[in-house]
Amino acid sequence: MLPPLKPIPIKERLSIVFVEKGEIDVVDGAFVVVDSQGFRVRPVLTHIPVGGVACIMLEPGTRVSHRAVALAARVGTLLVWVGEAGVRLYSSGQPGGARADRLLYQARLALDESLRLKVVRKMYALRFGEDPPARRSVEQLRGIEGARVRRTYQLLAQKFGVKWSGRAYNPEDWDVSDLPNRCLSSATAALYGVTEAAVLAAGYAPAVGFIHTGKALSFVYDVADIYKFDTVVPAAFQVAASNPSNPERAVRLACRDIFRKTRLLERIIPDIEEILAAGEIPRPEAPQESVGPAIPNPENLGDAGHRA
Amino acid sequence: MLVIVLENAPPRLRGRLAVWLLEVRAGVYVGTYSRRVREHIWNQVEAGIENGNAVMMWYANNEAGFEFQTLGPNRRLPADWDGVRLVSFHPNADESDV
Repeated sequence: MLPPLKPIPIKERLSIVFVEKGEIDVVDGAFVVVDSQGFRVRPVLTHIPVGGVACIMLEPGTRVSHRAVALAARVGTLLVWVGEAGVRLYSSGQPGGARADRLLYQARLALDESLRLKVVRKMYALRFGEDPPARRSVEQLRGIEGARVRRTYQLLAQKFGVKWSGRAYNPEDWDVSDLPNRCLSSATAALYGVTEAAVLAAGYAPAVGFIHTGKALSFVYDVADIYKFDTVVPAAFQVAASNPSNPERAVRLACRDIFRKTRLLERIIPDIEEILAAGEIPRPEAPQESVGPAIPNPENLGDAGHRA
Repeated sequence: MLVIVLENAPPRLRGRLAVWLLEVRAGVYVGTYSRRVREHIWNQVEAGIENGNAVMMWYANNEAGFEFQTLGPNRRLPADWDGVRLVSFHPNADESDV
């Protein structure tokens, strides 16, 4: 018998694989996409090294079997169901919340105003490469950030020679957006997928945000914003400037490239830890009378949030 | 790192590859060479493969960390999925199915 499957660390994986069409299933224990190409021809099977990918984006036109989802969960790979242009519909696969100590730590930092401010300041410091002005509230910091972001968009658009009239998109109807905005939307969707996989793998809750609140992925948006303007935004503008025939594919290639160049998958989990450490409180310890696991956890190769 | 796998290759090509690479299993050759030498070796494979098929993979500075190329007919065909190179397993064309 083969030993049981275990997740491997996020930093050693490919960032994203997009599946466009086909039935996703398990054949001989491998994660495969079955493309029938009509009824009279036998199907083409494409293997996806599921355990070696951080996140798999399932586009409209895919079906997934129970066994395939179970295999993805077992190897700690996030499955994200996305709509046209990478707009998220639903997501699952590797469920979060595997580490109570980390969730409590994150929640405590988010609930205490002074701790939250420290974390937010650290996020801005990492993002802009300098400490934000002292004695500002989160609200004031957000105002400063908003102005800075608008300027960054303009500067990047200018640099790549793209006509830019502001970040505008309509979630109801993506096709009405202009090319730079569409490129930006699909590029940020890719970044969010990878970031969500990392947040879950690190053992934290995607919904407990510090700057963003009220969304299922608030913390993912917080973390992704740190990298957005160094990675996907320039990549999207560059693609938009070249006016490609298939912008979506071009954006994905560009994102893959920039994720590798900036070593995003290696940085993202240590950066999350660094951000939360800015609160300068210890991780909560289990209460004295709490009962540990009767069966000890098996040794794990993956990240803290991965279920062994 | 460079790995070449041959299937159904004539013995003269197998002997030729063994000049530069180590044959660790039947038809499986390993070594470490520069890009120029790799291309030189692949030229030999192209010249001598006849009806067989071959695949060569090597270390590359891309997201996967490696690159590969193939030669000759095989059910496994490389597929490019938005920049990720995967392998598709094509069924043998069976007359009754076509």
